[in-house]
Amino acid sequence: MNKSSLRWLSLLLLCANAWLAPLARASDTELQLKAVFLGRFANYVQWPHPERTPFVISVLGAPSLGEQLTRLYADKRIQGKPVLVRSVTSIHDLDMTHVLFIATPSTAARQEAIAYAQRHGILSISDSKGFADQGGVIQLNFVEQNTQIKINHDAAMKTGLHIAAPLLSIATVLRGPQP
Amino acid sequence: MTAPLLDQIPIRYKLLVLLGLSLGLGLLVSSGVALYSTYAAERQSSLRALHQIAAITSENMRAALAFHDAASAANILTPLHTNPHIRYAFVEDQQGQLLSQYRAQASTDTQAAAWRAQWQQGLLPPGKALAGQAASNPDNAQTSLHQGIEQDYHYVIYPISLDGQRIGTLGLQADNQAMYAKMRHFGILQGSASVLIFLGLLLLSWRLQLIFTRPILELIDRMRQIGQEKNYSAVLSTHHRDEFGELYRGFNAMLQEVRQRDEQLSRLARTDALTGLANRGHALETLDTMLTRAQRKGESMGLILIDVDHFKQVNDNYGHPAGDQVLRDIAGILQTNVRFYDLAARFGGEEFVLLCDAADWSATTDMAERIRSSVAAHVCQLSAGQPLQVTVSLGFAISGAALRTASDLIDAADRALYRAKQAGRNRSESAQP
Repeated sequence: MNKSSLRWLSLLLLCANAWLAPLARASDTELQLKAVFLGRFANYVQWPHPERTPFVISVLGAPSLGEQLTRLYADKRIQGKPVLVRSVTSIHDLDMTHVLFIATPSTAARQEAIAYAQRHGILSISDSKGFADQGGVIQLNFVEQNTQIKINHDAAMKTGLHIAAPLLSIATVLRGPQP
Repeated sequence: MTAPLLDQIPIRYKLLVLLGLSLGLGLLVSSGVALYSTYAAERQSSLRALHQIAAITSENMRAALAFHDAASAANILTPLHTNPHIRYAFVEDQQGQLLSQYRAQASTDTQAAAWRAQWQQGLLPPGKALAGQAASNPDNAQTSLHQGIEQDYHYVIYPISLDGQRIGTLGLQADNQAMYAKMRHFGILQGSASVLIFLGLLLLSWRLQLIFTRPILELIDRMRQIGQEKNYSAVLSTHHRDEFGELYRGFNAMLQEVRQRDEQLSRLARTDALTGLANRGHALETLDTMLTRAQRKGESMGLILIDVDHFKQVNDNYGHPAGDQVLRDIAGILQTNVRFYDLAARFGGEEFVLLCDAADWSATTDMAERIRSSVAAHVCQLSAGQPLQVTVSLGFAISGAALRTASDLIDAADRALYRAKQAGRNRSESAQP
């Protein structure tokens, strides 16, 4: 499948999802949007080691999103790099990665994943409630077809990530007490 | 039609009308050009301004569009209300789904919807990039920027891309009121400046037309004056060295010719053709003048009638040319003997008259005697070569209480002359008082 036909397919899918939203399962639409947004975050984030290639997106505990991502980014590039999508079930399976989507059901595992990401300069993203408050960098929620982004700026700083102002400007930003 | 109409009005108004017309036309054309170029510049600048707003807004909008954040998109569009001319703005994603829109209070929903529908149906033509924009936005062609000006609004449809991929569109529509207000302002300014310039130049034209009309009008005035006064000795002076100077010089030359002809005619009318002396008519006129003056001054004047003795015999014996010669010689003698203010005239045939101004009896007697002796001593050289001597008889009268009028004087002198002839000729007789 060549590049343009894939783009058309993805467009078609998006269109279909946008217009047939009431009929389709909401989770499908969300899944696709999530996949698109995960890539788009990369436009607004600077990693501590920009030279690392390829661009790796790891999905912890959400294989369907992993498949979606794999399809979506099969022939696309993020920050000029080829994209590698990995689906993992445990943080111990993680290798070098840029983005870590955390979909673990347990709070403890999530906390562990957040800590791991913070240590390794990884952008942690999740749609779990309270993710940002727990120290995750980006929390992504869909409320009645509206996107809500919450960013824990302190966590991002600790991780060594620099988040660009345009993204901060549309997000709810959590900041710790200023010194 | 215009030519006869123009022929009827004075030259100064004609000049003014022509200058005014050409001024008006020039101002009209230049105002038109200025208005049009301002309109073109205003169009460009309106579009450019809207384009700038679109560029800035789209930059801010990119993240909101990337993450379908309608609330942020609405927040980003809200500041557009600070520009009262922006009527409508929308942001839609790549699928044409509306993310957010802004509508000014003055604008209606239907207008906004109609315009957006136009865009979505592809009815808005792709706009040409404005000068200077190509460099700042090199991918205009691929991302298809649309912009244009309609009668009451102008618009920019600005593509928004993320990472080289188009993710949506920002559309801005603004009314043309600012542009029209500027045009109106400029039009009023231009119009009033044109009117002022027109009036100023018309005033200047009025001054300038005097350069042409004044010499002509002066010439006409002087001609009229000369015609009324019959004063052909007048000379018109002018400092003009151009065609007007030529006209004046020509007129002066004509006056001089008239003057010379006049003089010639009056000389001919006053002069006896054979002797060159004054003729009888002129003598009678001068007698009246001289007599009047003498009476006014309480002086007297003398009148001497001179008749050539036996003149018929001269004609008969020597021929008429000899007779004419004799008359010319006597005329010469008279001319040399009279005083400057006296008048010698041929009175008719072989008779002469001499008017002695302010002369009494003694002066007149002396004069008569001097003439008689001069003629008697004179020898005429006839053309044939032979000499001829003639004599004259003279009768004279002095004006005074008894002789008051010209005819009195002439009659008295004539009677005296008769007596001189009777007394044997070559003598002078005074009138008996």
